[in-house]
Amino acid sequence: MNLKIFLFIKLFVLFFISSTSALVIGSDEEEIYIDANFSGKNLLVFGAFYSDPSQARDNKSDILIEVVGPSEDVVIRKKESFFGFWLNSKSVEFNDVPGFYYLSSTNEITNEFLNENNIGLLNKKDTQLINWSILNIDWGNVKNQKEKNTFYDALIRTKESEDVYRKVNGEIQIIDGNLFRSYIEIPNTVPVGQYKVNLYLIIDNKISNEYSYNFMVTRVGIEEAIYSFSKNYPLIYGLISLLIAILIGLSGAEVFKRFRKV
Amino acid sequence: MSIYLPIAELSVNIVLLLSIGGVVGFLSGMFGLGGGFLMTPILIFMGIPTNVAVATSANQIVASSISGTIGYWRQGLVDFKMGGVLLIGSFFGSILGVWIFSRLVVLGQIDTVISILYFALLTSIGLIMLIESSQVIRDRVRRKTVKRKIHYHNWAHKLPFKMKFYKSKLYISAIPPIIIGFVIGILSATMGIGGTFILIPAMIYFLGMPTSKVIGTSLFQIIFVTALVTLLHATTTYAVDAVLAFFLIIASVIGAQLGVLAANKLRGEEIRALLAIIVLGVATKIALDLLVEPNEVFNISVIRALF
Repeated sequence: MNLKIFLFIKLFVLFFISSTSALVIGSDEEEIYIDANFSGKNLLVFGAFYSDPSQARDNKSDILIEVVGPSEDVVIRKKESFFGFWLNSKSVEFNDVPGFYYLSSTNEITNEFLNENNIGLLNKKDTQLINWSILNIDWGNVKNQKEKNTFYDALIRTKESEDVYRKVNGEIQIIDGNLFRSYIEIPNTVPVGQYKVNLYLIIDNKISNEYSYNFMVTRVGIEEAIYSFSKNYPLIYGLISLLIAILIGLSGAEVFKRFRKV
Repeated sequence: MSIYLPIAELSVNIVLLLSIGGVVGFLSGMFGLGGGFLMTPILIFMGIPTNVAVATSANQIVASSISGTIGYWRQGLVDFKMGGVLLIGSFFGSILGVWIFSRLVVLGQIDTVISILYFALLTSIGLIMLIESSQVIRDRVRRKTVKRKIHYHNWAHKLPFKMKFYKSKLYISAIPPIIIGFVIGILSATMGIGGTFILIPAMIYFLGMPTSKVIGTSLFQIIFVTALVTLLHATTTYAVDAVLAFFLIIASVIGAQLGVLAANKLRGEEIRALLAIIVLGVATKIALDLLVEPNEVFNISVIRALF
């Protein structure tokens, strides 16, 4: 309850400064720790907003939440049939693609709106979430636009099937007309690194306020320690793996020898 | 109860993992096979990435071949000199194999090449075992015994760089064992196998080694080939999963010992025929995966993640 009061105070202070509308956020957590037993979690994003009724024609306010994960370079490969065998043939390399992307709105947001406001989205089709012009793409031997589009779609489709790209609406709860709350599902397949949350208050199809903050996704636990050790000290890691194998192999033979004697 | 595999980056059921290790270990103990040829495809079927399956399988074989070698060594059935000469070839073969492997990963063809290699390998092993075991069963019914030639000369005796292998009572050129070792090294690095089922017939038919010394010697050299392959994979493809290897090793070492015990009590041919059918089943599954049009023709792989 205290938090709610705090948010309202913050909201109205802001409102009196700007005097048309205001958006404040009560950020939940700055770091998400993923360990071996992590089975995904819900990130809570909440805050308060207010718009001056006299300024808005129909007083229609929307909240838009965008979460962008750390970048990665990916390669999309297409299987084609060669003499009955399905083999990887053409490939396209997409650089600096977000490893996680989430877009949520209180109401359906039009593609025109997203394009106009350059929110980093290009919704030619519902599946297409990313503004391709910001990407650095190595097309390889893929030449015509129609075929290029199939690779765009495949990137989105495969990312969606891994639950790391999502576009939803109607999942943001509005409470008391001024508070909003949304649970964003972070699946355990997400990449580690810095995530950016962008919040927009939209009034009459225009962005009136925006707010951004970052949070980190970090892997922790023994499994993470093994993973980073294998990357940082590969030779020692290999030798330890060998040593474990040798010791178990030797003791296996020893135990068995005694076992047979009995 | 499941466990997260840090390098494969997925969770698997511990009981399932131990059962696979145990069963493969049992079969390898029973038939004196390395078991890598079953382990790797089964791991891939479980959803473990191909490179992790291959590299981890090599790590697991180190353990199983050590415990196997000790048994043969105590009975004086290991020709260390022959093993050493084979290893010279294997050393270069496995370096080339890991290089080929990492090139194929970059080209995105590793899964296909591994599938084709495994299909060829498992089909031939399965058919040979099936034919052999059905012949033995038939001969047993007819109460016949098979006679084998003990020693014979072939082209391996005519090449230069001849060496004396006292243990095997051989005086042959070092070239054929080096070539055999080289091929085994390549196969071990690319497929995650020890290569016993190729090595053993090659040593008997090409080198003319006595059958009694063949298994121990091949196991002895497999320890070092798979150890080298493990290190090469750990440092170049980063695909050795120590957690996965640990559970597979524990289960397969126990399974292998039980398999050896069972081999003394059970009649081998029927089980061998059954194993042949399992092997052919795995081969068929691999072939179907290659031949049936996939639901999703596109696949994605992350080549670089920014932290």
